[in-house]
Amino acid sequence: VHGTREGFAKALNVPMNNVRVITEYMGGGFGSKFGPDVQGIICAQIARKAGAPVHLMLDRKEEHLATGNRPSAYAKIRAGVSAEGMLTAFDAETWGTGGAGAGSGYPLPYIYQFPNRRRVHKDVFINGGQQRAMRAPGHPQGCFITEVLMDELADRVRIDPVEFRLKNLPAQAPNAMWKAYFPMAAEMINWKARHPTGDPTPGPIKRGLGCAANRWGGAGQGTKAHCEINPDGSVLMRSGTQDIGTGTRTIVSMITAETLGIPMDLVKVEIGDSNYPFSGGSGGSTTAASVSPAIRVTAGKARDALFARVAPQLGATPEALSVQDGRVVAQGGKSITWKDACKALGTQPISIDGEWERGLSASGTSGVQMSEVEVDIETGITRVKRVVCVQDMGLVVDARTAETQIYGGIIGGVNYALYEDRILDRNTAQMVNPDMEFYLISGMSDLPKIDVKIVNQPERGVIGIGEPPAISTAAAIANAVRNATGVTIRSLPLTPDKILSALERAGGTN
Amino acid sequence: LKAFAYVNAANEREALAALDARRGRVLPLAGGMDLLGLMKNYVAQPDRVVNIKNLDKTITMGAAGARIGAAVTLVDLIEHQAVAKAYPALIQAAEEVGTPQIRNAGTVGGNVMQRPRCWYFRNEEFHCLKKGGPRCFAVDGENQYHAIFGGGPCHIVHPSSLAVPLIAYGARFRVAGASGEREVDAGEFFELPADNLMGETVLRPNELLTHVILPASTGLRGATYEVRYKQSHDWPLAAASVVVTMDGNRVKSARVVMGAVAPIPWRVQAAEEALAGKTIDEAVATAAANAAVAGATPMSQNSYKVQVARTAVKRAILRAAGVQTV
Repeated sequence: VHGTREGFAKALNVPMNNVRVITEYMGGGFGSKFGPDVQGIICAQIARKAGAPVHLMLDRKEEHLATGNRPSAYAKIRAGVSAEGMLTAFDAETWGTGGAGAGSGYPLPYIYQFPNRRRVHKDVFINGGQQRAMRAPGHPQGCFITEVLMDELADRVRIDPVEFRLKNLPAQAPNAMWKAYFPMAAEMINWKARHPTGDPTPGPIKRGLGCAANRWGGAGQGTKAHCEINPDGSVLMRSGTQDIGTGTRTIVSMITAETLGIPMDLVKVEIGDSNYPFSGGSGGSTTAASVSPAIRVTAGKARDALFARVAPQLGATPEALSVQDGRVVAQGGKSITWKDACKALGTQPISIDGEWERGLSASGTSGVQMSEVEVDIETGITRVKRVVCVQDMGLVVDARTAETQIYGGIIGGVNYALYEDRILDRNTAQMVNPDMEFYLISGMSDLPKIDVKIVNQPERGVIGIGEPPAISTAAAIANAVRNATGVTIRSLPLTPDKILSALERAGGTN
Repeated sequence: LKAFAYVNAANEREALAALDARRGRVLPLAGGMDLLGLMKNYVAQPDRVVNIKNLDKTITMGAAGARIGAAVTLVDLIEHQAVAKAYPALIQAAEEVGTPQIRNAGTVGGNVMQRPRCWYFRNEEFHCLKKGGPRCFAVDGENQYHAIFGGGPCHIVHPSSLAVPLIAYGARFRVAGASGEREVDAGEFFELPADNLMGETVLRPNELLTHVILPASTGLRGATYEVRYKQSHDWPLAAASVVVTMDGNRVKSARVVMGAVAPIPWRVQAAEEALAGKTIDEAVATAAANAAVAGATPMSQNSYKVQVARTAVKRAILRAAGVQTV
């Protein structure tokens, strides 16, 4: 909300203290909604001219045409591998377009260690809509290109893809745990039952397994917060962050309640308003790592302020107090209820500010996903049957919202793999599918069974989890399709057209 | 959405009276999924919309066959046990339509009469041939979902799932207009763009499709097989309905109709002849499927649809014969 306030103030040339932005909840943020954007500014300008409130909502078509796209990625790669299965060289010429005048960079090669590497990247400017942050910018592209290459190289030296990756991963570290996670994911999906490339089973339905890894940063800082403890025992926690559907509101409430030793229903959370204490935009999976420490610190300061006020009543020093299951407890066992402790505040509630501090959060996550697919080689249609995921995120603040973030990421990854495609008419450059009909998105019947194993690293502190699970799903699916069919599709989405054409080039569908 | 007048017709007579002979001025509204989309995209801009949900919504079954009111919803059709038993290919097609919500609101008549889903036709930015424009943008554009049969000059695929089995069963349509009623063979109801560019059927703007009349299905075996990219809410890449008359375990005669491959439901006699006199097995089904797509003329990006259509025909034949398919 604060970045958007600044954007409105600049665009309309009004002081920032005259702009208030309220966003209680927002769908689909992930950095793509850092600012007011052209449509927001137009809305504000109309409101100023009309002297009246204006409500502006983009419909599906406008959303497709006006609000930006993930940059494209294209690569030509020569790579070397030794007979023992060690990567030797990587030489890539890559292109991408971020629209008119915008970049299209992406990490490549992704994760694996090529001792000799060279890459030349060119941004291609086109008049085709601006690039915009879309869940884990750059990473799904780099992951897909690298992981498909890895499977092709593994086949070249006849080594199992998991074993091949284990040979070529960077050294294990808290933010680089793939060597541990590949075997865990392999166990979950029964990787040992995998057949070599090309399902030998007769009949049109071919089954296959594929794998891919991901990494992300997820560090955050800078959030400020305000906490009040009232004489009636109720608590307010306020911060100018926002919930883009990731559960920010939930974890603010949980951290406050846990720090104060009280149930969550005593805590009121106020977020999503630029009049509240500063917090950054939600992008780059930075929110949890930026907000959680600030809430922890601020709630702790409020608790300590309460201890100072009630210590005399318990005949103890403030340092000797702690909270436990809704009670304030002194060393030695004397205690009073939270309600009674707060009553002692009389007419003066606790009102205190705090902010993010180092040491409660960190940067760098790792994850591995594996996928099982069925491909009908007479129709070219792929069904993703299963995705398994091993993922860390530092300290797990709330297992349930973390897990749903991962489900969401994997569902997005299924869409990248099979469905989503912005199709521009080659003659007029108009988008032909700015709708929900031919811009395909999976429905419930298209989704796989998803099994998630979250690895808790409490000693590292909080790290964001919004983006990493979306990175490696498409690559894992593409490799599973390759394992099933024996043909390599070096392009997304994996349409029936591409699969049937590749099968035909390889000698027919049956 | 352009403003429009609304007529809530109580019955067929009132509905017919509200129509207009000029194309596009007055449009009937049944389930509304198709018409409202057309209107929101400014492809249809009627002055008047006539609610025809009060047309006949009954199903009667007798020795001579079935008579299905155009206002029967897809869900009521699917749940009609006698129809399901007699005309499995029709029900298999109905079950694949859209989503549960669409099947709850969508009608038999609406499914037959819906307009094409071509993305150039549906998008107001493209002034295409079918909207009175100078050219079909699909010819050298994005034609991956377009026709592989039919010869143009417009390359839509007909969107109706029910029309395919209805032709395979030899259905007739009752058409009512201001000047009386007539019955049209389902196979002659749909028109190619070369004969009718602005519409898809013989129905005139002041007429309504009121009933689907199916001949008795005694001795027939039928099945539909639809290939969709997605399982949830998607249009078929290709579909096929096959209805065979058996003579012992041999096929006496057959009807093979493909959907989503041409501007009209596409019946292929070569495939029917390939089945006649044969006992259906994998090889016979494959040969008939090859015959079904032999005359395909794919466009620049949809040759994969030939293989998809071939598979749909093969699997529909096997399913009609009671052979397990995927």
